[in-house]
Amino acid sequence: MPIFYRREHVKTLLTPRKLILRTCVSLVLLAGVMAACTMIGSQPIQAAKMFDRQHGGRDYEIFVHVRVPRVFLAALVGAALASAGVVFQALLQNPLADPYILGISSGAGLGATIAASAGLDWTLWGRSPMAVCAFAGALATVWLVWWLGRLARGAGPTGLLLAGVVVNAFFGALIMFVTSLSGSRQVQTTIFWLMGNMTEETFPVLWISGGCIVASVAALYLLGPLLNAISFGRADARSLGINTSKVAMASFAIAAFVTAVAVSLSGLIGFVGLIVPHAVRLLVGPDHRQLLPISAAAGAMFLTAADTVARTAVAPAQLPVGVVTAIFGGPFFLLLLIRHAKKLWR
Amino acid sequence: MQAIEVDNLSFSYNKRPVLQNLSFEVFEGSFLAVIGPNGSGKTTLVNLLRGTLKAQSGSIRIDSVEVQQYRTGALARKIGVVPQEFVPAFGFSAVETVLMARTPFYSRSGFERESDRIAVEKALRQTETMEFADRSIASLSAGERQRVFIARALAQETPILLLDEPTSFLDLRHQVGIFDLLKSTQIKEGKTIVVVTHDINLAAQYCDNALLLGSPDGCRCGPRPEVLTRQLIEKVFKVSGFMGEVGEAAFFLPLGGLARDYKARAGY
Amino acid sequence: MKKLWLIFAALVCWTAGGVFIQQWQTGTDRDTATPPMRIVSAAPNLTEILFALGLDDRIAAVTTNSNYPPAAMGKPKIGNFWHPDIEAVISAGPDLVLTLGFERQANLARRLERAGYNTLSLDIETIEQFYAAVERIGSVTDSEAAAAELLGRIKNRIAGPGTGAVQAKRLKVLLVIQRKPMRVVGRGTFVDEMIELAGGVNAVGPTLHKYPPIGAEQLVGSSPDVIIETADSGVDPSRQRAEALDYYRRFSDLPAVKTGRIYVISADSISRLGPRLHEGVEAIAGCLFFTGGNM
Repeated sequence: MPIFYRREHVKTLLTPRKLILRTCVSLVLLAGVMAACTMIGSQPIQAAKMFDRQHGGRDYEIFVHVRVPRVFLAALVGAALASAGVVFQALLQNPLADPYILGISSGAGLGATIAASAGLDWTLWGRSPMAVCAFAGALATVWLVWWLGRLARGAGPTGLLLAGVVVNAFFGALIMFVTSLSGSRQVQTTIFWLMGNMTEETFPVLWISGGCIVASVAALYLLGPLLNAISFGRADARSLGINTSKVAMASFAIAAFVTAVAVSLSGLIGFVGLIVPHAVRLLVGPDHRQLLPISAAAGAMFLTAADTVARTAVAPAQLPVGVVTAIFGGPFFLLLLIRHAKKLWR
Repeated sequence: MQAIEVDNLSFSYNKRPVLQNLSFEVFEGSFLAVIGPNGSGKTTLVNLLRGTLKAQSGSIRIDSVEVQQYRTGALARKIGVVPQEFVPAFGFSAVETVLMARTPFYSRSGFERESDRIAVEKALRQTETMEFADRSIASLSAGERQRVFIARALAQETPILLLDEPTSFLDLRHQVGIFDLLKSTQIKEGKTIVVVTHDINLAAQYCDNALLLGSPDGCRCGPRPEVLTRQLIEKVFKVSGFMGEVGEAAFFLPLGGLARDYKARAGY
Repeated sequence: MKKLWLIFAALVCWTAGGVFIQQWQTGTDRDTATPPMRIVSAAPNLTEILFALGLDDRIAAVTTNSNYPPAAMGKPKIGNFWHPDIEAVISAGPDLVLTLGFERQANLARRLERAGYNTLSLDIETIEQFYAAVERIGSVTDSEAAAAELLGRIKNRIAGPGTGAVQAKRLKVLLVIQRKPMRVVGRGTFVDEMIELAGGVNAVGPTLHKYPPIGAEQLVGSSPDVIIETADSGVDPSRQRAEALDYYRRFSDLPAVKTGRIYVISADSISRLGPRLHEGVEAIAGCLFFTGGNM
């Protein structure tokens, strides 16, 4: 029996027990945050009144039709963005990567802009044309960036990053071009949509996207040990016996897919995919087996809280959620960094 | 039995030839030192041997199978690689890093097994890295980090070890310690060791064979006394010095024009 | 990798389950027999229409910039035109929600429909659409008579000014809504229709934007006979007119400058396509058929 497991030497190693405990704690916290946020909004509602059909009909309506779908949506999108952020940071070996860095943001934006400017009118399974085109645009762009990155195969993650930067810049210019040709109404619609927004989605949309996001997080968790190795570098991971091209492609595809789902649901919400993985890494360490479930839960909590602030701070108007995530995310992250700076260099 | 067979290997970076018609063999259970000046292609050779680079012509066979034919997992069970020192992007601890070598052996739940823990502990003890097992490798000194990477390669439990400048940042005690460790794995476990190093003299004390790269006449590979001669070293490294006897192996002391004992250079 | 396929299979089953459950769900049935008594209006011109039809006591809530008639300002608010608050709408307990047709408001209508509320989205971009909207609102609220009467009144008042104008001799009007940088009213807008009804013709040809920014070259090229600027409330019209005369003097070749036919009208009269549209037509006609003076 190896001695060191009995001594203090291996505090940092992840054990199944630690993982389960930490995941359960995160999920309990998440449930608490979600429950609290359903009771907060621009109109005061009371839990007691809700089930009194006679007088509390209004409270119940707001709770069921507005609060609950919205809180669930925020949680799902937050979980999706945070998990995708974890994966992109590992694949690009760069703690400053976020889910939009490889062209997803401009691809989604271009799709949404074209849909808005063309004045499309159909709906697909209850999703607006902008949401569907944003999803398609995001996936198409990611495929393009991946393909370009492979052309610069020798450059490693830098090649991929550069491809993403170039595509973002070019598509950004296209967005400006299309916008300049559009009427002011379409422009405003596009901008509002792109700034990030949460609305109440229907049950099937929540069910299906919820399934997609949870399944993606689960799949990425299974790739956890492989992502650990890949974060050292592709060649390095290969020398350990890991099929890096398969793992990279699979995790990239899943992370891109889940980001595209998130963007089509709620526009471009920044900061979540960048700082939640960071903050969680500072708290529990860089092991992806726990980073993924806990970041997903933390991202869900963060975005739910941010959305609650967004819809109540300047009621009846609403702040774009992206503004709230930036305002609160920044200083919060700074505080965490200062407090745990020593832990970073465990 | 040859563990590694290299036949007529040629490699160029963007039409600049680095290795030309290189042929040599590494016998199973032998210790090969790869020596050469900067730019002679030592690291390129390491990358070719581990399959990261593909040669333009010629072949590399590990256990009689072409390197490029190996599946990643199978190759990783044959060769353990210690790369040149680098700082990874994320702050994994030393023990986590070493444990990563056992990733292909993890159980279905994604965690290590008992045999993995035993292998890791053994590797940590052998490299004397147990004392900072819990510290982030980004916070270690370059030398300590090197030892962690060596421990990782050891934990892979492969018959061949390929090390790229494993002692360049180590102090004297640890330099000797690592070479002793490598030699003991060769002797006790029959591992095949290939070390790329700048330190000719240290290598001379431990290696069986030497491969000298960078010579205009083509590489020289063979038993150590045949390759590490004064003439060859002076010619390839373009420096003159003193060749002295210690016991079984000689040592080479490079002496420049203003060196105290420059008179001791041969030919003066 | 096998486990990944397992997860994928589970996802497919989950999705199928969701679709199946959806078949079981029925929406809430709302009573649509009686005429709506609690109406929420999400746009100022819709509010004006409701008031004009005499439905003010049936209005449950309006948006914050519903400032006409003054009685509207006393109604509960559901947020503003661009940011309607769905919770406030639900709080008002409406049995009918009126919105405009463009994406932002149509989105609100869709969300309310999903939550089981009756909504009506109306496009009011042209005067024809406005008439249709008034009729539609009239029929939905059981006030067809009031709607017909309102439309009759409006059509009467706008028939006056421009009908006598001879087509060939229509004056070219440049309606400037912002001087620096210059933005004018373009073709295909309801204000452009007002210009036509007033007896004029838009000096600017068809453009990509409805309210295009134009440069000095296009200004000179349009060669307007009359320039009309709009003044926001709180700005002294005579002072603005003096500034305008001074500004356009540099374009001495313009017919409008040569004849000094530069006028200032209130921005309110042309800002909304609602029951007061005759005010805008009359304001523009006033500039065309009487020389000098402000409106």
